[in-house]
Amino acid sequence: MGAKEDLEILDRITSEFNLECKVQRKGRIWLDTPTEGFVDFCKWLKEQGFTHLSAISAIDWPDEGTYQLAYHLWSYQDRILITLKVKIDRQNAVMDSVTEVWDGSAEAHEREIHELFGVKFEGNNNLTPLFLEDWEGLPPFRKDFDWREYVRGKYYDRQNERERVYYD
Amino acid sequence: MAVKESTKLKRLIKAIWIFNWFNSCGFIELVPVVASRWDMERFGMIIVGSPRHADVLFIAGYQTLKSIKRARRVYEQMAAPRVVIALGACTMTGGMYWDSYNTVKKLSDYIPVNMYIPGCPPRPEAVFEACAKIFQHVEEMD
Amino acid sequence: MTGKMNASASTTISQLESAPERAEYDLYFGPAHPGSGNFGVKLKIAGEVVTSARADPGYLHRGFEKLMEYRLPIQNSVLSDRICVLEALNWNLIHAEAVEELMEIEPPERAKYIRVIMAELSRIQSHIIWFGAFCIGTGFDTGFKLAFGYRDYILDLFEMITGGRVYPAGYICPGGVRRDFPDGAIQKIAHVLDQIGRMVRIEEMENLGLVARAKGIGILKLEDAIKLGATGPVLRASGLKTDVRKDEPYEVYDRFDFEVPVRKEGDTYARYLLGIEEMKQSIKIIKQALQQLPEGEVIAPKFKRIKLATKIPEGDVYVRNEVARGEAGMYMVSDGGDKPYRVKIRGPSFLHMIPVLEHLLIGAQIADVPAIYWSLNVCPADLDR
Repeated sequence: MGAKEDLEILDRITSEFNLECKVQRKGRIWLDTPTEGFVDFCKWLKEQGFTHLSAISAIDWPDEGTYQLAYHLWSYQDRILITLKVKIDRQNAVMDSVTEVWDGSAEAHEREIHELFGVKFEGNNNLTPLFLEDWEGLPPFRKDFDWREYVRGKYYDRQNERERVYYD
Repeated sequence: MAVKESTKLKRLIKAIWIFNWFNSCGFIELVPVVASRWDMERFGMIIVGSPRHADVLFIAGYQTLKSIKRARRVYEQMAAPRVVIALGACTMTGGMYWDSYNTVKKLSDYIPVNMYIPGCPPRPEAVFEACAKIFQHVEEMD
Repeated sequence: MTGKMNASASTTISQLESAPERAEYDLYFGPAHPGSGNFGVKLKIAGEVVTSARADPGYLHRGFEKLMEYRLPIQNSVLSDRICVLEALNWNLIHAEAVEELMEIEPPERAKYIRVIMAELSRIQSHIIWFGAFCIGTGFDTGFKLAFGYRDYILDLFEMITGGRVYPAGYICPGGVRRDFPDGAIQKIAHVLDQIGRMVRIEEMENLGLVARAKGIGILKLEDAIKLGATGPVLRASGLKTDVRKDEPYEVYDRFDFEVPVRKEGDTYARYLLGIEEMKQSIKIIKQALQQLPEGEVIAPKFKRIKLATKIPEGDVYVRNEVARGEAGMYMVSDGGDKPYRVKIRGPSFLHMIPVLEHLLIGAQIADVPAIYWSLNVCPADLDR
């Protein structure tokens, strides 16, 4: 649970693979990984003790034209959290699925990101909608879908006195 | 001979049966109304499991597009005379989630509402005050 | 409920006798059900046994993560109570910790102790709801009425300290807490803890009806629990001793002396007993915190007069906390403006309801479905957010 174990893991990673790591504080390691060989890297990490896939998040950077996916892994024996950050293309968002490594929990996380951001995961054949029913439109959490304009156009009426406050 | 609407309602308010559609944040303050501190059974109100037996429907908060379809179906299964009571700020104007793409802003566009109770969430005493107002209104009908 | 067997008016006895033994029916254990509440499960049953289950979430989806991008951190701290209504103060705390870590601000000592006391009180009232809902799911109505009666002592205390019974209106904000304890609050906390001790003694009495409905049902083995991503009391009832408050202590949890209860059987009865043990440990923590409470300020000097536009430096953090239901996480990314760029909320019920529930319901009887569902201590609001 100390900085000593963080450095041990870092040494192991830099000796096996040629990647750059950063230790933010005690128990947090951040890595930028490429997309090739990603699933093999995850398999290796799982053997080192990172058996718990806590969450998968996606961040939208429209200026750079990429989505950044972040995989948060936790190890029960060493008590360290590793975050892997991967960048994929925004227009044609395709990524390899990790359901063969963490089978059971990865499928639900990937379904959520497929529905809200529109990322297709190859290898996961259960990408059915989770929260929304009959939604035709852009994937709702992209930055180019402005919620306030959408709601003002659809639900609130500028001519109505009481609803005018929603327009400032 | 047809029975007058007001007579039906006056017989109804002696024992009101509520349907168990406890949805969204507001329901957390409806449960103490059922439980021991603000016991509602002493007024003759109980919770039933099927909408076909119920007289009152409590819509206890925001509705999303998915759940408003089910709420509408539940409302259509209730037999007249029926009362809809809407709790919370989210049913009046959209409340705290006014800029969400998935919630319903004005409940009265979908289901006719008889009484609104303000608050976020409204206290259990406010539910009793709303019921008292309904009883008074019915007593004054001719 | 749609049946798939064709039964026309001219079915004869011989046709019924030669029909297949167990035809499969679809049963929708849906949102308007007293046993489930806001969440639907599509079951396929054959006879009385469930053969497969599919979860149907989404009745409460508001899109919290993007709503937080349009609001300042001080507005977000009011919005963050509503992520899960049953444990509002714990979610308030995790949001405040995330913003403080990005801005590199440390709250004063007295504020940290007050935060721990409020979070543990919120955990106790959430476990009381768990007990009450489990009783109503298995038909034990007396337990439900008793539980919600005793819970009101804690809600009166919240109203005295924060102003709201259920939603504290952002009491735990980035920088500390909004205001100090009023006069008489500490005596009242001691009185409330006595009453809760009485409630715990009632819950511990063995009720043979409840034991018969809960023992040996819904067994979750340890390898399955780790593979499917269970956390919190569900994982501890299967045998693994882990708790975020001991693995990575946040606030001042490393100064208190408390244990982490663990059970090995993994069935519904073990989860029920574990909830009671955790309440006792929470009472112990609050008593120690009240003794060690120091004097001082309750909010960091930078936030003393609420400045509406405070810029958040660039960076990203991931904060983990132990809420009553399991492990909660918040990942916040900022690009230098005054509103967060992206907030990702990881709720404990997300994995409890989709993989774990579908796995546990296979092979169960229909009458056990509510007991298994409520024993996992789920909150549909933090699945859908």
